[in-house]
Amino acid sequence: MAKPAIIMKRLAFWLNQPVTVLGAAGVALALGASGWPAVQSLRPIGDLYVSLLQMVVLPFLLATIPLAMRSALAGATNATLIRSLLVWIGAAIVTVAAVGALVPLIAFHFLPFDQATIEAMGSIVGGSSGQADLEFSLDNNALTLLGAAGQTGVLSLVPSNIFSALSADDTMRVLVFAAIFGTAMTICERRSGRSFFGALQSLHDTCLLIFQWLNLLAPIGIIALIAPQMEVLGPRVYIVLAHFSYIFFGLSAVILILAITILAAVLRQDVPLTFARFSRPLMIAAATRNTLACIPISVETMTEELHASQETTELYIPVSFATLRFGTMLHFVVATLFVGALLRHSFSVSEVLTAAVLSVIASFATLGISGAAALAPLSGVLRPLGLPYELAFPLLVIIDPLVHMVRIMLNVTVNCMIAALAGGTQDRELAQSAELQAAE
Amino acid sequence: MSPRYRRYVAISFLPALCVAVLSAFPFASFAEDGSNATYDLPAIKSAGILRVAITHFDIPPFHQRRPDGNFIGKDIEFTKELGDALKVKIALVDSSPTFDAVVQTVAKGHADIGISKLSQTYDRLAYVRFSEPYVTLRHALLYNRRVISGLSNGGSPDIALRQFAGKIGVIGESAYVDFATADYPKATVVPFRTWEATIDALKTGQVDVVYRDEFEVRSVLTHDPAMHVLFGAAIMADRRSFLAAAICDTCVKLEEFINYFIAQHPRAYSLDELLTISYLN
Repeated sequence: MAKPAIIMKRLAFWLNQPVTVLGAAGVALALGASGWPAVQSLRPIGDLYVSLLQMVVLPFLLATIPLAMRSALAGATNATLIRSLLVWIGAAIVTVAAVGALVPLIAFHFLPFDQATIEAMGSIVGGSSGQADLEFSLDNNALTLLGAAGQTGVLSLVPSNIFSALSADDTMRVLVFAAIFGTAMTICERRSGRSFFGALQSLHDTCLLIFQWLNLLAPIGIIALIAPQMEVLGPRVYIVLAHFSYIFFGLSAVILILAITILAAVLRQDVPLTFARFSRPLMIAAATRNTLACIPISVETMTEELHASQETTELYIPVSFATLRFGTMLHFVVATLFVGALLRHSFSVSEVLTAAVLSVIASFATLGISGAAALAPLSGVLRPLGLPYELAFPLLVIIDPLVHMVRIMLNVTVNCMIAALAGGTQDRELAQSAELQAAE
Repeated sequence: MSPRYRRYVAISFLPALCVAVLSAFPFASFAEDGSNATYDLPAIKSAGILRVAITHFDIPPFHQRRPDGNFIGKDIEFTKELGDALKVKIALVDSSPTFDAVVQTVAKGHADIGISKLSQTYDRLAYVRFSEPYVTLRHALLYNRRVISGLSNGGSPDIALRQFAGKIGVIGESAYVDFATADYPKATVVPFRTWEATIDALKTGQVDVVYRDEFEVRSVLTHDPAMHVLFGAAIMADRRSFLAAAICDTCVKLEEFINYFIAQHPRAYSLDELLTISYLN
């Protein structure tokens, strides 16, 4: 009787090992690069895995956010914590935007585009039959951007109907509701002594258990989600967009490594071990291409494995994952300088600053949208600089499946780093709590 | 009448005589049978030849001269089939150096019809008749991306394209001179001898926009994809070129015949089909 249980336990142990997760990513890349058409048949499995993860995200947010709000409002350190979070968020935004602007500016100067690359890019823009960029009417203001997604921005994040927001899987609105609800429930609890925070804690633990089960399927999910994406892209895309790819992926790798190293140092963890433990949220980020789906595993990794402050992590990670898109900031600023270099545009200092600032602002305009539509706010960065979005979109959209993976990985890692920098370790949290109790 | 006076009379009548002789050519068949009817289908059928004016330069895939001297292309197929329907032979008159010259060739009676990817325009209708359109193409612009993005003030490029007041390149003596002048009254319309020269002017910055139809614009980008990086293409959804045969001004019956022929042989060329033919040849 005990034998199957032991086997299951060992299997679970191995499936959760970083080497298994990274191995799955390696298999996915190899399958994708093979160009084997049967790889596409893995898509339904990947979609099923994403659905399973997303299924638990909303209940998890509804439980975690009110609990985190209660914890934050109860703690005497909350003002210091929020100040600290704001400082680190500001520092991270400035660093990402500055690095994203300066490195490509120098790199594109020394990496001019050859004629063959420009020709290949022109073919991508117009397809094989020289498709037009846009259609417009001379006599009225009708405009159709051919192939480009429509504009979307930060629009009413407050849900008028929470049940409608829940049924529409509108995570941003649910998050806003959960934060307001958590605050109100904490105040009610103080006044009347009654609340159902106990029930929410139980819901939170239940969701985490389901995520632990789903983590066992992570290697299969990673293969089934990454391989078809890679197979669709094909090697030609990387050759054509080599300039952009080298710089964006290179910069992303540097930021990821730096962020995890800082995280390890702040949490006083062994650096290689932190990399290994952090590989699971990173691979889930790459596979699902959904920052919100990474919330539970990131919270679990940060609190259970890396021993980051529970209060800070549980408050900051859900909110920041939904709002702060460091990957998008970097993507937009690199893309702007790439399009400028392609058109032989010489950027002035003020234009580089404008590109960086507008990229940060435009990243907030991608909230609540995903896929190719998330590229639409890039027009708000390019056009004020006199650069054509119609040229950028067809070029960037073909490489977006891969860039999207990296964007989500950056969102997850940089936000986890900020949580660690602001909140510190659980030991520090316990010490502060003890000091507070002693003072009382 | 004195000899001197007779000489004056003779000199006075000489130009009129010349005009009468020149203009008699297309109406020769009527003069022979003594009919008062104007030149039209019966005369063409009786001559057994339909004279078709085309441009001297190639317009692939509409018409193109092969190395052996024969012509190929969609317009050539059209005229051959029309000739079969009329039961007459086709004589191509390929001396016109411009599109307007094709119309003038027909207007002056040196050809019965003109069929060289001709667009109907108000000016041309003053000289010739036009058949029903056999192909309709939307107008299109090829523009310098940086210039137009700069003029759009942070908006989409259609804003600058709609109100463009810079230099627009077109083929001289083509319908697009008229279209550009009408659609862009504030712009300076710069005519060039050929389409290739117009595109070169765009590349070298002599003009910021060139104006023609969707087929030609896309054809340029298909043949030279590198251009699509620096230059954008915009389709004007509410401006169309109706490609039709120019028909001699007196040829009412011929026009009826050609319209009936077009209705019987619908030529719904798809743009992609035209582009494919274009670069296969």
